[in-house]
Amino acid sequence: MIELRNVSKTVLSGNAPLTIVQPLDLTVSSGQYVSIVGPSGSGKSTLLGLIAGLDAPTTGEIVIDGVEISGLEEDALARLRGRKIGIVFQFFHLVPSLTAFENVLVPLEIAGAPHASDRAAALLSEVGLDDRAGHYPAQLSGGEQQRIAIARALANEPPILLADEPTGNLDSANGRHIVELLHRVNRSRGTTIVLVTHDSELASGTDVTLRMRDGRTERLAPAPLREVLA
Amino acid sequence: MTFVLRMVGRELRASWRRLAFFFVCVAVGVSAIVALRSVIQQVGVAMAGETRALLAADVQIESEQPWSEAALAIVDGILGAEPELSRTLSIETPTMARPADESKVVARVVELRGVQAAFPFYGSFVLEDGRAYDHGLLAGGGALVRPELLTQLDVAVGDDILIGDRGFEIRGVVLREPGGGIGAFSFGPRVLIDYDDLLETGLLTLGTRAERQILVRVPEPRVDPLVASLREPLRDEFVRVRSYRNTEDRIARNLSRAEDYLSLIGFVVVVLGGIGVWSVTRVFVQQRVRSVAVLKCLGATSRQVLAVYVAQVAILGLGGALLGVALAAGGLASLPSSLTAQAAAVAGVEDLSYGVTGSAVVQGLGVGVLVSLLFALGPLLEMRSIKPLALIRWNLITVAARDWVQWTVVGALAAGLVALASWQAASWEAGLWVCGGFAAVAAVLHAVGRTLVRLVQPLGAGARFAVRHAVLNLGRPGNQTRVILLAVGLGSFFVIGIHAVQANLLGAFALEIREDSPDMFLIDVQQDQQAGVRELIEERTGDAPSLIPVLRARVTGVDGRRTQLDSARAVRRRGAGREFTVTYRDRLEANERVVEGAFWGPAGPARPEVSVEESIRDRLDLAMGDVLRFRVLGRDIRATVSSVRAVDWDDSRSGGFMFLFSPGVFDRAPHSFISFLRGPPETTARARLQRDLVAGFPNVSVIDGLEVIATVRRILDYVTLAITMVGGIAIVSGVLILVGSVAMTKYQRRYETAIFQTLGATRRSLVTMLVVEYGTLGVLAGAVGSIGALGLTWGLSRHLLDIEWNAAPLVNLGGMLLTALVVGSVGVAASLDVLRRKPLGTLRAE
Repeated sequence: MIELRNVSKTVLSGNAPLTIVQPLDLTVSSGQYVSIVGPSGSGKSTLLGLIAGLDAPTTGEIVIDGVEISGLEEDALARLRGRKIGIVFQFFHLVPSLTAFENVLVPLEIAGAPHASDRAAALLSEVGLDDRAGHYPAQLSGGEQQRIAIARALANEPPILLADEPTGNLDSANGRHIVELLHRVNRSRGTTIVLVTHDSELASGTDVTLRMRDGRTERLAPAPLREVLA
Repeated sequence: MTFVLRMVGRELRASWRRLAFFFVCVAVGVSAIVALRSVIQQVGVAMAGETRALLAADVQIESEQPWSEAALAIVDGILGAEPELSRTLSIETPTMARPADESKVVARVVELRGVQAAFPFYGSFVLEDGRAYDHGLLAGGGALVRPELLTQLDVAVGDDILIGDRGFEIRGVVLREPGGGIGAFSFGPRVLIDYDDLLETGLLTLGTRAERQILVRVPEPRVDPLVASLREPLRDEFVRVRSYRNTEDRIARNLSRAEDYLSLIGFVVVVLGGIGVWSVTRVFVQQRVRSVAVLKCLGATSRQVLAVYVAQVAILGLGGALLGVALAAGGLASLPSSLTAQAAAVAGVEDLSYGVTGSAVVQGLGVGVLVSLLFALGPLLEMRSIKPLALIRWNLITVAARDWVQWTVVGALAAGLVALASWQAASWEAGLWVCGGFAAVAAVLHAVGRTLVRLVQPLGAGARFAVRHAVLNLGRPGNQTRVILLAVGLGSFFVIGIHAVQANLLGAFALEIREDSPDMFLIDVQQDQQAGVRELIEERTGDAPSLIPVLRARVTGVDGRRTQLDSARAVRRRGAGREFTVTYRDRLEANERVVEGAFWGPAGPARPEVSVEESIRDRLDLAMGDVLRFRVLGRDIRATVSSVRAVDWDDSRSGGFMFLFSPGVFDRAPHSFISFLRGPPETTARARLQRDLVAGFPNVSVIDGLEVIATVRRILDYVTLAITMVGGIAIVSGVLILVGSVAMTKYQRRYETAIFQTLGATRRSLVTMLVVEYGTLGVLAGAVGSIGALGLTWGLSRHLLDIEWNAAPLVNLGGMLLTALVVGSVGVAASLDVLRRKPLGTLRAE
């Protein structure tokens, strides 16, 4: 479960303060598939970064599975991400010096998980890339790299998966593959997913869609979601 | 832990090629440390077993004066009380030798030693023809000589040579002799004759510089007690007593000092490597920002990430250090045997093994790993400030403010380097000096480099495309300019600097010879030989030489206003205990002036007076009117200090004396004369004069200043070669850092090159760009080294060597051009493969 209470983000643009995310409250229940849409610069990715603990909010509190994260230190946040949050990026961000298999293996090793190799192999097979295990990122297509990134994000079976424009860098066929994969993950594993995209078609299949504009959110689809506009 | 270890393995797999160059730099320094330490340690081990042979006895009692009755009585009394004892006599004196064959016009200074049948108690002779040594070879007018004398005198075994009044038959060539000491300064090659024969040569006249020795063999437990019981009563007789063990201690001390100081040279090279490590780690961290952010996103803590990279650096450092050990072992094993034999001969030992020693390896590995870690830690700590948010927001600027952790690391780095240097030099003081000196030189070179880079920046404006970009490349973010300038600049600084110093030194010597300064020195001219010597020299050179009366004297007491020293021992403690050559006259020479007191007039004072040189006044804190007590020829003489002189030591025509006595003091005392004169310029005339002087006055030694200068020149050449090799290693390190830097920034360069190519840049303009960029870098590095070298030579010439300073422009210019050429070609060669790649592949990969 994800809870945001009065969360906002203001940065300095030159010397003037610029509010990227206006104060908002948001609750995402376990197992929900939520999409956030909006034009470039509307604050989507910043909001996602706040939920992931990659950035600290200017005001408000963020609670992940009962843990208030805005007061946590960098390393505590890293450990929390390792256990509870998987992240998928637009530009994949695989470690170029590691093979596909090793990229999936790394989070398991960081968490000290047992049978790490078996689980990494199973994940590769789940995303249909077991034959590419020994390849380096540079030897894989964009779609393949993103599937590896999703496998990596799921390695520690986190209850939450955050995806930042996961299809933004892919052609439509590969994009569809990724969309289907995410749906499958949500349905079969019950993973809570927050998806940021500017592709409304991609958003249409999710339980709830939020639209962001100028740092404010508005709900587009009715759902069992409690959302209060600030 | 598993994660960290596995990641270390994966990271090494991915990046060792790029990092390898820098650890080769570490390897070069480590190999220098290991090789130098190993060799010196082994020399020490080899010599430890032979110290008795170095003295040829257990105890040696030695006097520079003929034995006094008192001293002999003491020695006889004490030695006679020893139940089990053997003794033998020996005399060493520098003198002249010449072929008996009159047609050979040559005479040379030799180190003559007369020994008795019992010599040596320890050690053995090695003769060229393999025969065993026997005193019979010397008895009855025989001589054993060093091989170099045969060539110098153009004689062979079986020929006769003349020494003093006597002829000697050369009966063999001696390669190694016991009791010869090590590395001792010698006037000429050794000639060994019988003790009684030496007494008959007529050489031991008054004032002759000769060491009379009593060599003693006693059972081992008696060595120390005997030395102790002899020293005390002989102290005021100016007799030295030492055991083989004193020699051993001195050698051990000198060797360990040599080992420590030489290792500092290796340390400086390792630090250069460390600068390389620092530079590569900086670039490496920049290239790893994304991977580190990803790892943090996946749950890795800063500590885990840091551990991965620190471990990686430690492993590469260890690898580099191991490579260094291998280089040292390989280098030592491949030393030519002629060189090793020569080194063994210099050290006075029979054989040397050339392997690396355990302790040298441990030190080398320690230094290699520690320097790698110390220098890598600063840049690696920046990984802490990498935020995973960078993966979403690329415009995120993370300004890594220097926090207390980084300042702590900088402090630890400085302290660590000082500790390392002190460890290597085995002295805190030396460690601080080396680190301080290195930091100062590096800071100066760095500042010069920065200024030069700034000066060339305007060249970029408005110039051709290739030149403009080449110049801009020198100053762009992430460039390696400063590091290369520092590393290569430091190397060229060493080499250019030392060659310039050599040029200055040689210039100073040549200058002295060009003027009318003397180039021939006569010593031991006796009173009755004055007229003959003067006549012969006037006939050959056209100038009457001035013969200066000299005596040898020791200060045995000071009765002064501020200083009261009542014994020779007290004087020795004040650093004025040596035997001085003194003279007397009624006037000042051209190179002297009185700076305090008043000089006696032509008539001379009523009571004995002495004029002292400034440094003696300062050392003994003398005032006018103080009374000095001297021991001259066994007699005590008191003289009142009446003036202080400043002596221009560069002007050696009249010599220089620490103590000048008033006339009358020594008039009736027996004394000898010395002379400084200018010999005939042609070699044959010089040789003939030398030869005729020795033939007519066999006890007179004639030292040829030109030969001394040739020897100095040879020694200078060796020193220059040695330092050039060290500078060479520094330059090699610099070039390695250069190659490594090119490799590190290749990815960025490849991308830029691809973009330039798609925009229409031809290969030619791209090559021009490379040539201009690295050529400029080379010129700048050479200029940095040259400017540093100018400062070095100026400082050394003016303050340390006390010679005139010349800029040596040819050496500086040549060094600068050579550096430019090396840097230019290495830089271009290392970058060429960037041009060979097709632009599309590069752009797609990005």
